[in-house]
Amino acid sequence: MTVQRQVARGFWASLWYWIRLIAKDPAGLLGLIIVGAFVMWSIIEGSLQLIGSYIHNPALGWVLLPHNPFKFGPPLHPPSLTYLFGTNIEGQDILSRILYSIPYSAAYPAFLVVLSAILIGAFLGITAGYMGGWWDEVLMRITDAFLAVPAIVLAIMISILLKASFTGMIYSFIVVWWPIYARLFRAETLRVKAMDYIAAAQLYGVSKVRLFFKYLFLNTVDPIIAYAMLDFGNVILAASILNFIGVGLQPGVPILGEMASDGLSGLPGAWWWAVFPSVSILIIALGFVLLGDRLQDIIGGRAAY
Amino acid sequence: MAGRDFLVFVIRRIINAIITLVLLILLMFVIVHVIYPTPIALARLYISGAQHITTQQLEAIVKRYHLDAPLYIQFANYLRDVFTGNLGVDPIYKVPETQLIMYYLPITLTFMIPAVIITVLLGTVLGAIAASNRNRALDYVIRGFYVFTWSSPPYFIAILLLLIFVYWLGPWTHLPASGYVNPLLPPPKPITGWPLIDAIIEHDWPYVNSYIIHMILPTASVVLYSFGIYTRMARNTMLDVLDSDFVRLAYAKGLPRRTVVYRVGLRNALIPLVTLMVLTFALSWTGAYVAEDVYRYHGMGYLVTTAVTSVDPLMIYDITLFVGLSVVVANFIADILYGVLDPRVRIT
Repeated sequence: MTVQRQVARGFWASLWYWIRLIAKDPAGLLGLIIVGAFVMWSIIEGSLQLIGSYIHNPALGWVLLPHNPFKFGPPLHPPSLTYLFGTNIEGQDILSRILYSIPYSAAYPAFLVVLSAILIGAFLGITAGYMGGWWDEVLMRITDAFLAVPAIVLAIMISILLKASFTGMIYSFIVVWWPIYARLFRAETLRVKAMDYIAAAQLYGVSKVRLFFKYLFLNTVDPIIAYAMLDFGNVILAASILNFIGVGLQPGVPILGEMASDGLSGLPGAWWWAVFPSVSILIIALGFVLLGDRLQDIIGGRAAY
Repeated sequence: MAGRDFLVFVIRRIINAIITLVLLILLMFVIVHVIYPTPIALARLYISGAQHITTQQLEAIVKRYHLDAPLYIQFANYLRDVFTGNLGVDPIYKVPETQLIMYYLPITLTFMIPAVIITVLLGTVLGAIAASNRNRALDYVIRGFYVFTWSSPPYFIAILLLLIFVYWLGPWTHLPASGYVNPLLPPPKPITGWPLIDAIIEHDWPYVNSYIIHMILPTASVVLYSFGIYTRMARNTMLDVLDSDFVRLAYAKGLPRRTVVYRVGLRNALIPLVTLMVLTFALSWTGAYVAEDVYRYHGMGYLVTTAVTSVDPLMIYDITLFVGLSVVVANFIADILYGVLDPRVRIT
């Protein structure tokens, strides 16, 4: 079944068009709502925290939160109307800590890692697919070697070698995350390379840079964006696993994986301490999985729309 | 003729596996040399636990381990060391790394092997059920379930199981919260180095029993962590198979739906799933690390977490190398198995 995809003009019009397309499926709608809320919260809270830390006024960072995430109160207070998700052993409000930590423990890693992986993967994958020959051969063997080790295991190693800081963790993720994208871009390039418009562009004498960006990158990036949506969730989960094990923590900043790991010690009595931070990661990852699945259906042409 | 084809296929796979092994070792070598570019920095890695160390001592280490030799000589030495199983001495435990890994590995494998087997069986069956009930209630239930387990962090699954089956239902289930065996039981005499096997050889049934009870929750959490991606692929493979001509032929012959789906369809869908077992195996390493952290199960994951807290990069490095090598070997076995099951694969 071939379906005519209308092309909307302008950024906002096409954004609205895509939102309507995604929202036709209930799972897609749910994913869109979760991801939308996550992105907006990360932008608002993240920029507040940035401003707050620049002018040394941390109060600005928790202007939207029910409580100050660092202030001590009644320890291990069960969930109630004042403390919706309860408090931890130091009496800090868990809901506030979750909301405060979302930009740092989920949005920054996901955005930095996936974006860098796409850029590195696009450059290597498209050149490998287009040029072929020894470059392709060498690159594919290297990606094989990378893919032999489970990404999270390799990331744990690299961030420990890099002294286990938060930035070390981000670097380690970038190092292990690009090979999948190189593979995907290479496969797409091989498909697109045979198209007539590439031959036409070559005949026309388009410059290499223009050929790369306008003809190859823009024509291969669609299915990869759908995959990247799923992958935001993967990176958030992977980062939280590292934080849970104790890698990549930042002193003074609450981090979801670390909160869950701390909460483990209070488990039989204070279940809320470990459960709510984990559930918040689950919800964020679920949003990206649902949205990515739906996008894959649309771009892959499998959904009836 | 067919026998010769198979031989060529196997030899080609062996060469491929060896190339990947060497490249993997090269990759690990390059990573370490990029992060620790100078001989002195490398020497610091080798003694990572020691705090106060003089320059002379560092230089002695550089000399002793030839860390200032040209890179290709260092790599040749390193390659030889890895293939002879010499991963160096751990600076904190003061024991060869290989010995440490061989001590803790069997404990992890006891729950990882059953976990992979259960994942594969469960995933295949659920995938087949979902595919044969496409877009019906059962399909949505299965898909919903795996989307949830898939997007939940693995430690959350482990924590939930711990909460529900140990702390809330504890009086009924009698499941332990931590450890891999009741510490009050005397350990069996080491014969194979694998406590479970040793206990079985010596007919030490209380020990075996306690061991199996301690295994249940880690196994369950690794299964729940890794079965989602497997079920999804099993479902997709099964959908492809159910769309194919020979399935249509089976229906045309008048075979009942159950026979078509589970005899004709499933048998043909099983073959590509062999390759996926490797993926499950690789994925379970992460699940195992996390499950061991939650249940204080003293295996490889425990080694990793203690190495993280005591800042022992060499240990993590060696474990990662070991995990990578094991995945390459598993990949090789899956390739061969694939060739045995599906003769068409041998041609390429």
